[in-house]
Amino acid sequence: MNAKLWYLVVALFFICPSWLAAENDAASLFKSKCAMCHAEGGSGNTPSGKALKAKDLRSQETQSKSDAEISEVITKGRNKMPAFGQKLKPDQIQELVGYVRRLAKK
Amino acid sequence: MSSQSGKFFRGGSLRLAAFLCVTLFGAHGALAVPSYSRQTGLPCSACHYAPPELNAFGRKFKLEGYTFATKPEISEDKKDHTSALHLLEVLPLSAVFDTSFTSTKTPVPGTQNGSFEFPQAVSLFLAGAWGSHVGSFAQVTYDAQADHFSWDNTDIRAAGTNGKLFGKQLVYGLTMNNNPTVEDLWNSTPAWGFPFVSTNTAPSPTAGAIINGGLAQDVAGLGGYAMWNDHFYLVGTVYRSEHLGAPQPNDGTCCGFNIRGMAPYWRLAYQTTHGNHDFEIGTYGMHVKSTPGAITGPEDAYTDWAGDFQYNLTIPEWKNDVVSVRGTYIRENSSLVASVAAVPPTAGFVGHHLNTVQGEAEYHFGTRVATTIGLFSVTGTADPILYPQAPVTGNLNGSPNSRGYIFSVAWWPQQNIGLTAQYTGYTRFNGGSTNYDQAGRNANGNNSIYLMARFVF
Repeated sequence: MNAKLWYLVVALFFICPSWLAAENDAASLFKSKCAMCHAEGGSGNTPSGKALKAKDLRSQETQSKSDAEISEVITKGRNKMPAFGQKLKPDQIQELVGYVRRLAKK
Repeated sequence: MSSQSGKFFRGGSLRLAAFLCVTLFGAHGALAVPSYSRQTGLPCSACHYAPPELNAFGRKFKLEGYTFATKPEISEDKKDHTSALHLLEVLPLSAVFDTSFTSTKTPVPGTQNGSFEFPQAVSLFLAGAWGSHVGSFAQVTYDAQADHFSWDNTDIRAAGTNGKLFGKQLVYGLTMNNNPTVEDLWNSTPAWGFPFVSTNTAPSPTAGAIINGGLAQDVAGLGGYAMWNDHFYLVGTVYRSEHLGAPQPNDGTCCGFNIRGMAPYWRLAYQTTHGNHDFEIGTYGMHVKSTPGAITGPEDAYTDWAGDFQYNLTIPEWKNDVVSVRGTYIRENSSLVASVAAVPPTAGFVGHHLNTVQGEAEYHFGTRVATTIGLFSVTGTADPILYPQAPVTGNLNGSPNSRGYIFSVAWWPQQNIGLTAQYTGYTRFNGGSTNYDQAGRNANGNNSIYLMARFVF
């Protein structure tokens, strides 16, 4: 039993790091920065989203906003949503705006 | 809090001291850590109902390796032969200062009642993202009575968030930590359970299950975890003894617990959120084989089986106040072969069991005030050698039985300043209600009032 546990520990130690590299396309950005609350599909239907009252990004309320307005929310934050303007580059924010638009069509 | 306690006791006696220091009445180092707030750009209340109680967002943040960030970083993307770098521009450091006053109903003989500790403890944290998928909660704490810093609760995680299993999201990762249950996401398990703050000067019951803090900061563990579909949480970790302040390799002479081989820990929990209702139910436990004061010879064996639950109700009509109810039951079966064989023996016979029940109900007035009433009970096998008679700390007829209640009011005038008043009462203490130590002390003589101020920055 103990020998098997040793093997397990060694395996865990060396197996991991394929996920350690970050990706930067819009979908990955959305997953890493937004899906935590807004859910992968943008519904906001996650425990975290409910706790922080995250918006349904597919909704008319969100989709009726202009690109500039959505960009501003991402950049400066609103209510309990934090500002990402210091973390993300302007072109990344624009990619996210485009991704939010595509959520409505899915 | 203090792992050092374990080094000066052997066999079954260790769990008495460890429990005393760490769990039911040991000061928890648990709280909201401002470096997470600086990293995420979110207030403490985004993750906590009241520190250290995690809400769904806080659990997710911890699950994903403390890595969510909105603040600037130094970064380079992965290329053909270049590793990626995602480094916070600011080192994620935080500090906590605790000062307190404790008074017991009956003074401990020969001591001055009314203990004012300034500080009671000071903690420093390295808590935040180390990379895009690796982060930490690492704490060192200065203890005023020990007058030194020592390593405290630590959980270092590597997390992957892009997994899929049966079409549903799978968050998975590794945890390295030094306290079974410290990696847990809920506040119904020992490391982050109630009471969230507590005195370290009043007498407290001596019997406790090994998973209930008996190994805290005295082990090193590596494990894997996964959360599937935001519902099912599974953890498997193996622990080895890692005695702080003792030479390595471990020869076992320093300490009461020396894990033989590895000690497996398991955790399975189910959580669900429906509207304003947030519920978790789960099980956890571990199996430990240990030789007191040695690394060869007879072994003591402990198997802890535990169940827990947590329910939070958010009430929008009452400004989003939250009602929380939590509980846990721990059944420990132990076979103290080594303790019986010790010279002199530290247990009278081999087979023992211990039942621990804890539960509490809490009302959060927004994020400013939290009021809690908790009940606890420990019952188990009487053994006059394992639980010997002694003034104040001793047991009546070898009985480990204790039960009592805790009232607590915590006021957070700011999210990083906490003021707590807490009353702990006993209806039974170390086996008796009256004259439990055979030296004239009653259980309620250990009732205590505890006032604590915490500054977090």
